Amino acid sequence: MTTMATPTHSAGAKAPDYNPKSESAGAKRAKSIIFHAAALVLTAIVLYPGLWMIASSFKPNAEIGGQNTSLWSNNFSFDNFVTAMEGIGGVSTLQFFTNSLILALGAVVGTILSASVSAYAFARINFPGRSLFFGMMIATLLLPFHVVIIPQYIVFQQLGLVDTYVPLLIGKFLAADAFFVFLMVQFMRGLPAELDEAARIDGAGHARIFGSIMLPLMKPALISTSIFSFIWSWNDFLGPLLYLNTPDKYPLPLALRLFVDQTQSSDYGAMIAMSVLALLPVLLFFLIFQRYIVEGVSTQGLKG
Amino acid sequence: MINRRHFLTTVAVGTASAAALAACGNGSSSSGQTGTAEKPVTINYTWWGNDDRAERTRKAIALFESKNPDIKVNGNFTDFAGYWQKRATEAAGGGLPDVMQWDLSYLRDYGQRNQLLDLSTVKINTEAFEKSLLPSGQIKGKTYGIPTSTNAFAVYYDPAKLASLGIAEPDGSWSYKEFNDFLSQVGSKSNGALYGGTDYTGVWWMFNIWLRQNNIQAFTPEGKLGFSKDDLKKWWNLTASLRGTGAIIPEDRVTQLAPKSPFGSNATATEVTWDNFMAGYLGDSGAKELKLVPVPSDNQDNLGLFLKPSMLMVASAKTKFKDAAARFIDFMVNDPEVGQIFKTSRGVPASKTQRDGTTFDGTDKAVVDYEKSIEKYLKDAPEPPIVGFGTLEASFKRIASDLNYGKLTVDGATDAWFKEAEDLIKQNA
Repeated sequence: MTTMATPTHSAGAKAPDYNPKSESAGAKRAKSIIFHAAALVLTAIVLYPGLWMIASSFKPNAEIGGQNTSLWSNNFSFDNFVTAMEGIGGVSTLQFFTNSLILALGAVVGTILSASVSAYAFARINFPGRSLFFGMMIATLLLPFHVVIIPQYIVFQQLGLVDTYVPLLIGKFLAADAFFVFLMVQFMRGLPAELDEAARIDGAGHARIFGSIMLPLMKPALISTSIFSFIWSWNDFLGPLLYLNTPDKYPLPLALRLFVDQTQSSDYGAMIAMSVLALLPVLLFFLIFQRYIVEGVSTQGLKG
Repeated sequence: MINRRHFLTTVAVGTASAAALAACGNGSSSSGQTGTAEKPVTINYTWWGNDDRAERTRKAIALFESKNPDIKVNGNFTDFAGYWQKRATEAAGGGLPDVMQWDLSYLRDYGQRNQLLDLSTVKINTEAFEKSLLPSGQIKGKTYGIPTSTNAFAVYYDPAKLASLGIAEPDGSWSYKEFNDFLSQVGSKSNGALYGGTDYTGVWWMFNIWLRQNNIQAFTPEGKLGFSKDDLKKWWNLTASLRGTGAIIPEDRVTQLAPKSPFGSNATATEVTWDNFMAGYLGDSGAKELKLVPVPSDNQDNLGLFLKPSMLMVASAKTKFKDAAARFIDFMVNDPEVGQIFKTSRGVPASKTQRDGTTFDGTDKAVVDYEKSIEKYLKDAPEPPIVGFGTLEASFKRIASDLNYGKLTVDGATDAWFKEAEDLIKQNA
């Protein structure tokens, strides 16, 4: 994210200022220094909670929060990570990670498959009632999640699907995430229609056009969809809380909460250590794919 | 958190669907389905708590299954806050687990909406229970919850901190004036390094105890407020001269220290709260030893103290295995070996057979000894709190903290709380 904010230094780039004529090289440099200093200060403020979290994961429980304001502790140890890795109530932490990973990857695969196909239909096929269905899909975006919790729960409860991953994943495979469908529709509308017309003249059907023309061109949209659906699923708390009963099936966000019990003693140290561990996959996922996000924003189809 | 209105809608939908379900089902026998050793029935049990409690509960369940080969128990757990969101959804979907660990403040809500089984219709032995305790699980003649364990209100203090300030340890027979003087002494002797305590007038249960000391009911049996504005003004004026001094920790400090308590963060010398917080305070503060003494009272014969169920066991009204559920509850609250497994993780065991079968040591012993020492002062536990009590308690705390910030006067605070309370009671009527 911070890389996007870095200004270009190439000599040809024109700095946006009031009076470009009287701008000397020295003034430009001073401006650049001020800009970077301000950016660094802001970054430090934004990153401080993360730094606090990492520092606290190495502190004994009694030194976290409360009166202890210093970032570093003299009692540096890995004990919290050891406790965190021991698991909770007979379920190993690795199991929680595996569960989270299954759910997140399932969400990514499901969303990519279903949302891209639906988006193709909305963007390229002129079927009767298209705008009505499109409007209905957008309307589901406006429906707060909390409104549908109970009816959905009753449906899954009566189908006997509670305490399985089906309620959490089935929506992803049926393009229920209207946001992603919308995102892809908008992206596809930006692709020149001449491309699929050319393919049709060559005798390609919808399947072929979708698979050979659209999908490869949609890479940036597919990647941003994957990133978002991975992160949302990884961080989802309410869904798993409602639908999963057996601790063996819990993903990480549920497990994290088990370290903090206001009615008994809370192990903040272990919880923070586990938060650090839980953040790593998301961070890695983001670091690997972030350049595609930038690409996705900047290319927008074939323009330019 | 799920609020009352949300709950109403969830339950309304739930009841409708349950009615539809009941129409297709056929009536089962009164004891429900029973199992055999070859073909055991499985009941679901759910609780909240941390890793430690999960481990202890697993042991208790294993013991129960070995003693009752015809029943299997499927145990699940979540954290406290998530626990109630999940229950509200399940209640609406008609899928509450067979047996549940329960909190007093939710008992009336679910009990009145017929979500919980009347446990007086099944066989659970309550002979070993303190008679003053059982009414707290009963609503309008129906027993919805059996207490697993008790807690009582107390003043905590850290003897090492008092010794370092040269202050004598209190013996717990103090009036409010003596208690206030004690708090001020801590503040002045430590030169601001240590505060006397948090403002105890912001704690609802302490107010409730003060009312009991003055023979006033907090709530009438009709669910109305049993005290007047003047009572509340008198209460909030008790510490008026202490606010802003070293006797009471300022509200902004309290906020900075959250989620840890001021006492757990070693910012105050005392805390007024339930005696089962001991383990948490010890862990947070790193103190070697913490001691408990009774709350102040201006009438030393009436301390207003009572035992409150720190947790209850309840069963779902729709369970298909009433008999198995009852046997499991009976086992969890009465069996001496279960007491030995949990120690004071759930609070001090409520049943005498379970308490006597448990050896307490260290911290646990301090809590058990405290409850024993106040035995002669104990009166009947109050009825389960009114619906929406959680909101009332929270607004009591919030308004009292505004008082400490100096945003409100005592008169203004009283008016503000009464308005909120009366609106809420009207809504629930």
